[in-house]
Amino acid sequence: MRYGYVAQTLHWAVVTLLVVQVTLGNIADNLPLGLEKLALLARHKSFGITILGIAVIRLAWRWIDRPPPPPPMPHWQRLAANLNHWSLYALLFAMPLSGWLMSSASNYPVSWFGLVQLPDFIGPDRGLKDIFHELHHLFAWFLYALVGLHVAAALKHQFVDRDGLLFRMLPGGPR
Amino acid sequence: MIFRTLLLAILLCPAALADVRQADESAGTLNFSAIQAGAKFTGSFKRFQVKLDFDPASPAKGSLDVTVESPSIETQDAERDEILKSPDFFWTEKHPQAIFHATDFERAGSGWRASGELTIRGVKKPIAVQFTLVPAGAVTVMKGTASLKRLAFGLGQGDWASTEWIGDDVDVRFELKLTPIG
Repeated sequence: MRYGYVAQTLHWAVVTLLVVQVTLGNIADNLPLGLEKLALLARHKSFGITILGIAVIRLAWRWIDRPPPPPPMPHWQRLAANLNHWSLYALLFAMPLSGWLMSSASNYPVSWFGLVQLPDFIGPDRGLKDIFHELHHLFAWFLYALVGLHVAAALKHQFVDRDGLLFRMLPGGPR
Repeated sequence: MIFRTLLLAILLCPAALADVRQADESAGTLNFSAIQAGAKFTGSFKRFQVKLDFDPASPAKGSLDVTVESPSIETQDAERDEILKSPDFFWTEKHPQAIFHATDFERAGSGWRASGELTIRGVKKPIAVQFTLVPAGAVTVMKGTASLKRLAFGLGQGDWASTEWIGDDVDVRFELKLTPIG
């Protein structure tokens, strides 16, 4: 049993975007303010909002097209997997939202690829900017940890338990 | 018809408006907005003086003088403020003031348009300011807008002259409570 193509596409799109986001975010974080930083962060914000949009679609799609049942595993592993998945979903919201709020608080409002300007839910405020900046970094560390666990668990199922779990998120074969 | 309009104008305009009036940062705000990376942000100047010598009944004798202390620019981001004060933008060390002087007034909708010259960074260019005057007790509320192109004044040297990430258009918005001099 596999995830449908839509769910798979959305999953791997988020994976790709997250790699881009971590790269852009870390390069920009170490640059002094200049056109390069503005350009990198503009893209970082646009991709971040894209991820937020995809996260909403994924949740909706998950409800329309239910995920396939997981292979047999101990109860605690299933619980851990569920907890990890829902935490990852939470981070797909928390990362862009904290970034968005940080942008508003630092008076660098967010535009999605120069096409739409997003509203500011908070005004410029240095204290709030620092708080959301810290949160954004903290969430990033959670994300690294949970993604690490997610990947390690998938590989363990695939190559140690040999239960074919990885195929659930890969194309090919019958569903 | 012309007589009636004139009469109406004279009757509607309180004589006090003929006085010379002034305001500074303690009596209003002077904001600007520009586009960075596709999104509009707003900044302000924290120190300025405005002097308006204007009688709506005889606009030809009027004058508007604005002096803005350019080091008082503030965009709620220390790094951006430093760049705006640097020689790449306002070059505040060499040009600590931006000055607007207008003597040409004409009716514009329910308010006025003052055409004059704005000097920023030593570059003088003609610009127009739209404003309205509304008496409010002892003060007169002056509200208005102006639009300018930052690059015309050299605001953005070198790489900053690109408009890909920072737009050329800057909108200025002000709201002042003018009080009579003396």
